[in-house]
Amino acid sequence: MLATLITAVVDGLEGALVRVEVDVAPGLPVTHIVGLPDAALSEARERVRGAIRNTGYAYPQGRVTVNLAPAGRRKHGAAYDVAIALGIMVASGEVVASGGDWALLGELSLTGEIHPVPGVLPMVHTLRRAGARRVGVPAANAAEASLVDGIEVVPLAGLDDAARLVAGPKGRRAARARRTPPVAVSGPLAESRGTDASLVRTDARVDLAEVRGQVAARWALEVALAGGHSLLLVGPPGAGKTLLARTIPGLLPPLDEREALEVTVIASVAGLLGPGDGLRRQRPFRAPHHTASYAALVGGGPRLAPGEASLSHCGVLFLDELAEFDRDVLEALRQPLEEGSVAIARAQGTIRFPADVQLVAAMNPCRCGYAGDLERACTCAPGEPERYVRRVSGALLDRLDIRVEMPRTRPSDVLLGPEPECSETVAARIALARERAASRNGGRLNARLGGREIVEQCRLATDGRDLLAAVAARRRLSARGIHRILRVARTIADLADRASVSSTDLLAAADLRDPAATERAGLAA
Amino acid sequence: MLGIGPFGPRGPLRAPVPVGGPAPAPRGEATLPAAPRGAVTRPSRGVSRDGHDGRPPKKAGTGTLAEERQAWVLLATVDGVGERTLERLVRTHGSARRVLWLAGRGRLQRRLMSDVDARPASLPAPVLAGIERVARDRGAILAVLRDAGVWTLTLLDPDYPRRLDGLPTPPPVLFGQGDAALLREPRTVAIVGTRRASPVGRVDASRAAAALAASGVVVVSGLAVGIDGAAHAACVEAGGPTLAVIGSGHLRPGPRAHSALVRRILERGAVVGELAPAARATRGTYPRRNRIIAALGDAVLVVEAPERSGALITAHLAMESGVPVYALPGRMGSELSAGCRALLSEGGALPYEGVAALFGDLGWHWAGGGEASAHAGRVAGSGPAASAPSRHASPQVVLPASGFGPNRVDAIAALTLSDMESELCRVLADGPVALDGLLAAGASPGETAAALTLLQLRGLVRTVGGLYLPAGPLLLGPP
Repeated sequence: MLATLITAVVDGLEGALVRVEVDVAPGLPVTHIVGLPDAALSEARERVRGAIRNTGYAYPQGRVTVNLAPAGRRKHGAAYDVAIALGIMVASGEVVASGGDWALLGELSLTGEIHPVPGVLPMVHTLRRAGARRVGVPAANAAEASLVDGIEVVPLAGLDDAARLVAGPKGRRAARARRTPPVAVSGPLAESRGTDASLVRTDARVDLAEVRGQVAARWALEVALAGGHSLLLVGPPGAGKTLLARTIPGLLPPLDEREALEVTVIASVAGLLGPGDGLRRQRPFRAPHHTASYAALVGGGPRLAPGEASLSHCGVLFLDELAEFDRDVLEALRQPLEEGSVAIARAQGTIRFPADVQLVAAMNPCRCGYAGDLERACTCAPGEPERYVRRVSGALLDRLDIRVEMPRTRPSDVLLGPEPECSETVAARIALARERAASRNGGRLNARLGGREIVEQCRLATDGRDLLAAVAARRRLSARGIHRILRVARTIADLADRASVSSTDLLAAADLRDPAATERAGLAA
Repeated sequence: MLGIGPFGPRGPLRAPVPVGGPAPAPRGEATLPAAPRGAVTRPSRGVSRDGHDGRPPKKAGTGTLAEERQAWVLLATVDGVGERTLERLVRTHGSARRVLWLAGRGRLQRRLMSDVDARPASLPAPVLAGIERVARDRGAILAVLRDAGVWTLTLLDPDYPRRLDGLPTPPPVLFGQGDAALLREPRTVAIVGTRRASPVGRVDASRAAAALAASGVVVVSGLAVGIDGAAHAACVEAGGPTLAVIGSGHLRPGPRAHSALVRRILERGAVVGELAPAARATRGTYPRRNRIIAALGDAVLVVEAPERSGALITAHLAMESGVPVYALPGRMGSELSAGCRALLSEGGALPYEGVAALFGDLGWHWAGGGEASAHAGRVAGSGPAASAPSRHASPQVVLPASGFGPNRVDAIAALTLSDMESELCRVLADGPVALDGLLAAGASPGETAAALTLLQLRGLVRTVGGLYLPAGPLLLGPP
């Protein structure tokens, strides 16, 4: 007897339909899965057999062939388990299918319980577009699946629920008594899913009021977040670079609808959505460790998973100890910084992940961390600090809009300084500045403006143009460098709610745009 | 006298110049006759057929002085021929020309006459091979010198700097680029210190160097990163000449980070050393270079030196030859100035109190008023600094030449300082400060940063590692 079901696969961020065909025929009791399955999928055989038996159904005594179509597409993962199991049950007559436009997703355990799988959101979206009316998804994925309008989401806790969905109210044959009691597999297993590599968890928020002193760096961070400008923090250990970076989640405004859906899709594909997680409202803040591999940072790997650059889409990617990152890995970041997306080329085609990220990086000035300190001697050999900084390529450094040096904090700043502003106050200013920029730029941040646009948006007066020319000449700036100053100046003006960019804004932006470059270009002393 | 050569029979004494040289004038006297520019003999001019005409130079005292000094230069370019080997070669064979003549025919003996004790010495085989190579390809060697724009001064030359006479072993040949006349400038001060300088040390070095340069003193230093570089750069910015003494050849002068600085130094100053252009620096060349720095300065200022710093070698060498040594004590407890404090507490060094005090100590005539007043004249751009007795001090310290048009430079330079900028200058003149330390009450970081950028454009401020440092005229004091 033959049964055919519909399920879906996720490829990059897009879902695709997969037809599960099951044939049960007389013969030796063997089960074959064909259609380019990977190891996890081949093992579905065993999971499905166990789940069917332990739920109280009979596994057919005969030759079972499972075909996953289209046959040419590689398939991986355990999301087909439920569809395969129901296909076998229908084909063997254990369940009578009522027909209808339904589809199934989910991974089975031997007990018959259904576990969440990554990528449910794009898969459900694809199924709906293909005309499915009802979809059975793991209960833990129900929240994300219900973000898709126009399709009924049926949460599935176990194989029984799936059988009920397939059979409809009438056609289902009564399940026999369970032969084994179910084993409780609950919370801890579900929480251990996912590959969250971040050091700084998004919930480990720090309030800006905890950062004492470092007025320059706080201001630079405010400007960077208000305009989406990339930021480099340089300072000795203990200056507060990481602490400052941890305040970022509390300073960013929430995602808008379109962004929220994109971010949620990426999180879904990466398996980062927890049970019951719906739409992501908070901007991502990802802090991968400096040992991160190329695939971890930009995406790829055997399953074409999104990397950290995509996981921080619409948010902030924080690279602590920038100079310790592998050089090739950092070079790979240039594409997302320029284009806002990553393209991963494979023999079967190119997959594009969105990666519109704001880069925030932190590094020590040298290996020991004390080069340029007022009091502590740097223990690096002469020339070593320069070599250390050169580990980060000039091309990447050139793409960092704002560079701010954080000197070592003095105890007096920490203990006696004035009470600094808290995150709430600064976040309100940032949100206002972003709104002003968005309404003027057609929804974009200042950092995303093209060269001609930014010149128009700044509306410089004559003295401003002269000043800019003087700065550019003294620092030997390229056109890109000039535009960068203009973008930052535009943001400073937005923070102060000025319609046009004043000379002061321009000069302040020039101070933020790597003042040390003057030294490097001119007299190194 | 003829036939003995400059080393004389009893060691490397500087003999009276063989052919009609001027009588040596007392050291440091201002009435020293200025050598005409042409006095610096470019070796390329003196290429002769000597040694190729088949006639051996006689044992001693033959040939023109030009030929002999060229032979000295050639010998000095051989790796492994220092002042001692050169002296022994000349003493053994009577003249450098004869050494080359013999070497050109493969007849140069490895055995050398010993100098003081009677122990025999001999040339190492690689050195002998090097001399023979030089004797064969003298044209190529001289071409390298010519192409690198390197001039030479030998002990045989009347222009050889007298300050080096006091050395137990003066370099027989000096290689140099730039203005050779600087070696005879009447007033010089050497500024030395650690390569791992702190921002405070850099500012101190810049401040001292700028003040000295503005007062017409030639600042001598070693072109290393750190204090040396800060001192040279401040002189260059102040439009004054500065003398860099290098421990390597002129093809690789100093660290790569200083290639731009070398170009700026050569605009008015000079870079000298005792090694041939192609020579590489080795472990021993820098301490040897220090003896030249110590000798070329009328005083030595140690700005920042930890214990066991090379700058202390320079200071001790200077003390031994009677050159006054000044030192800055540095911040309380700073490890980077421990060597300076040791110099001061051991009684050998004097605390540095500024240019005026230094002029007084050295018996130089002080024409300027306060350092601050000199600065005030410069910020306004109103003519040359009153305190500069030298032709080298330039009034153009505001905005050193860069790529943009003069009108805009003037427009910015002519802006009078706002209240905020004046206040910032007052704070900054005291040393490196972070932006946090510069925020006046009520001023936003943006306004302060804007004012600082403007001050940078005017050449009054520069930044290193997040710290704002005084620069240019501001090194001489607050407005």
